[in-house]
Amino acid sequence: MFDSFAQFATDLAGNLQLGMGVALSLRNIALCFLGCLVGTLVGVLPGVGPIATITMLLPITFGLDPVGALIMLAGIYYGAQYGGSTTAILVNIPGEATAVVTTLDGHQMAKQGRAGVALGIAAIGSFVAGSVATLVIAALAVPMTAWALKFGPADYFSLMVLGLMFAVVLARGSVPKAIAVILVGILLSTVGTDLESGEERLTFGWTEISDGLDVAVLAMGMFGFAEILRNLESTQARDVVHGAIGRLLPGRQDFKQSAAPIARGTLLGSVLGLLPGNGAVLGPFASYTLEKKLSKDPSRFGRGAIEGVAGPESANNAGAQTAFIPLLTLGIPPNAVMALMVGAMQIHSIVPGPQIMTKQPQLFWGMIASMWIGNLMLLIINLPLIGLWVRFLKVPYRLMFPAIVLLCCIGIYSVNNSPTEVIMTAGFGLFGYALYKFGFEPAPLLLGFVLGRLMEEKLRQALVISRGHFTTFIDCPLWKGTCERPISTTLLILSVVILVVAIIPAIRAGRDEVFKEA
Amino acid sequence: MTTQAPESRARGFIKSPFDLAGGLFLIALAVLGLAGGLTLPTGTLSAIGSGFMPRVVSIMVAAFGVLLVVQAMLFEGDSLERWHLRGPVFVLGSVFVFALAVRGSTLNFGGVLGVPLLATVHVPQLGLVVAGPLCVVVSSFAANDTKPLEIAIFAVVMTLLSGILFKEVLNLPIPFDPAGLIPEPVSGTYSGLKWALAQVINLVKNAFGR
Repeated sequence: MFDSFAQFATDLAGNLQLGMGVALSLRNIALCFLGCLVGTLVGVLPGVGPIATITMLLPITFGLDPVGALIMLAGIYYGAQYGGSTTAILVNIPGEATAVVTTLDGHQMAKQGRAGVALGIAAIGSFVAGSVATLVIAALAVPMTAWALKFGPADYFSLMVLGLMFAVVLARGSVPKAIAVILVGILLSTVGTDLESGEERLTFGWTEISDGLDVAVLAMGMFGFAEILRNLESTQARDVVHGAIGRLLPGRQDFKQSAAPIARGTLLGSVLGLLPGNGAVLGPFASYTLEKKLSKDPSRFGRGAIEGVAGPESANNAGAQTAFIPLLTLGIPPNAVMALMVGAMQIHSIVPGPQIMTKQPQLFWGMIASMWIGNLMLLIINLPLIGLWVRFLKVPYRLMFPAIVLLCCIGIYSVNNSPTEVIMTAGFGLFGYALYKFGFEPAPLLLGFVLGRLMEEKLRQALVISRGHFTTFIDCPLWKGTCERPISTTLLILSVVILVVAIIPAIRAGRDEVFKEA
Repeated sequence: MTTQAPESRARGFIKSPFDLAGGLFLIALAVLGLAGGLTLPTGTLSAIGSGFMPRVVSIMVAAFGVLLVVQAMLFEGDSLERWHLRGPVFVLGSVFVFALAVRGSTLNFGGVLGVPLLATVHVPQLGLVVAGPLCVVVSSFAANDTKPLEIAIFAVVMTLLSGILFKEVLNLPIPFDPAGLIPEPVSGTYSGLKWALAQVINLVKNAFGR
């Protein structure tokens, strides 16, 4: 036991060293820095979440080699996440669901003239959480990949079903609508030429889409343009913090109050981020609820309690990072942002999955090492630049949104140098606006879209192998003393349990409450 | 989600227009999905065909659509959200204009679904230098507090900055100049200025070792 642990530690150190060697080249550090910087710059814009940010900035990675591009993309992702928190604290507008909790106490702190401390503790908590999460990823990568290699097509299919079920439970609003919107995503994924038979599907003779719909087009339309349309309608005035930001470095008392919440938030976020189907979104909510329960004086929460910023922000960042694990080891994106990452990786001809680590160890460990460097970078660049972000946030929306529209246009044109795709993006903007008006969430759709293609492939393979028997997914006749497909069977049973739990009214009320807490 | 309070007066048959609209939307999508895969083979279970997935998923989408419609008739719910025209028309219109102008394109009016070809419009390649400001200005009509002079200056500045970033720094192949539309004396000065700018950017780039 001890020997194997020592062996494990040695391997881990060796792998991280390999990664550091790749990530610490001057060029890759510069790319990581640039990624974090522009990611924060765009992510800070109110109403521009990580998905829109990554799509918009995708073209700037095009001229790079795969390693450099991935490092920069990861930097953009962290930057966008942190930028969202900055907006949440300073303007009270969350960039995405995970930053909702930060608005509660973060913005209150800002109103009390402690915006600097709130941003500071968010950055420090995020850094601690990011460092721990990087280690978690590095430690879990090898065993998870080994496990993933045992997965047959049926197991993969069932895992994706489970992931989508989680996405249903974690989506807001009605359960039937959440399931339906995922199915629409899967339907959209079948558009284009069928890879096996070469037949055109759902293209209505339109040759422009015979290669299928591009995930960037879908994401930019539904998260970039539709979001602008929503923002233009909201009458809610932006409430940029006026006056002093205050000092940035939290005081001794602040650190004392925040240390334990950061530790607990990191733990919660890391574990929840591993779940398929956007478990990361739960992290900040769970952390906030926990800190409020543990607090001696819960009434302080919502009135600028530093624990209410430190815990959720740590959980947020930890989850954002461990969400990479399912993607990098199993090749299955757990949430919409990671779904977009799949598209981004494919542009650089990287196929996420268990084979990355074995075939391209430089790329794999280089990226993981750069995650830690990215977190350090955020801490270093963001604290001095907060003044710049504040000034940036004061740009009125009447100027900001035309600029976002222009950048989106240039970005989407550059993905394939196709004006037609720009027009299609506008079409998906309208589609996303309609979804919003009818009460459907766009994020599960994007996840369904990316998983749809993979699900069909695995379904076909599984059925070919089993010669057309659907029972291959639950081939586990324990009463006969055998179990052919333990993984798939367990995953499907879990999926059913989760769905039932989501439908039971009592628990649904509880779920709504968790979201309403925000 | 902005939900309006359910109206107190009886709506009769439909108790939740919000859910009804959602359900009908799903049914429409399912019909599109079924229609688009009409000729595709379903195949057998041991060798499922290309039509299997679109068909099965479309039917499931339709089923949820029907469920929402039924729900709309049984349970009291929200009324429909108001649709605004101004935002979608100008924001998405500006995207459309950008797409048409940046590399040039040909628009056909008619010529599909039995309608005779009515007109063909050729848009020359105007490049980012024209398409950019056009996009910014058109989209700015979506807001009601736009100031004309401010947005005009902003449009030019944004276009130049994005031109420098995407064209010179990142070397993306997006067309920047209008193709053959600049008269001679102007184009000489223009090229000179661009050349000088490119030299400066190259100096910076080389300093970073790229």
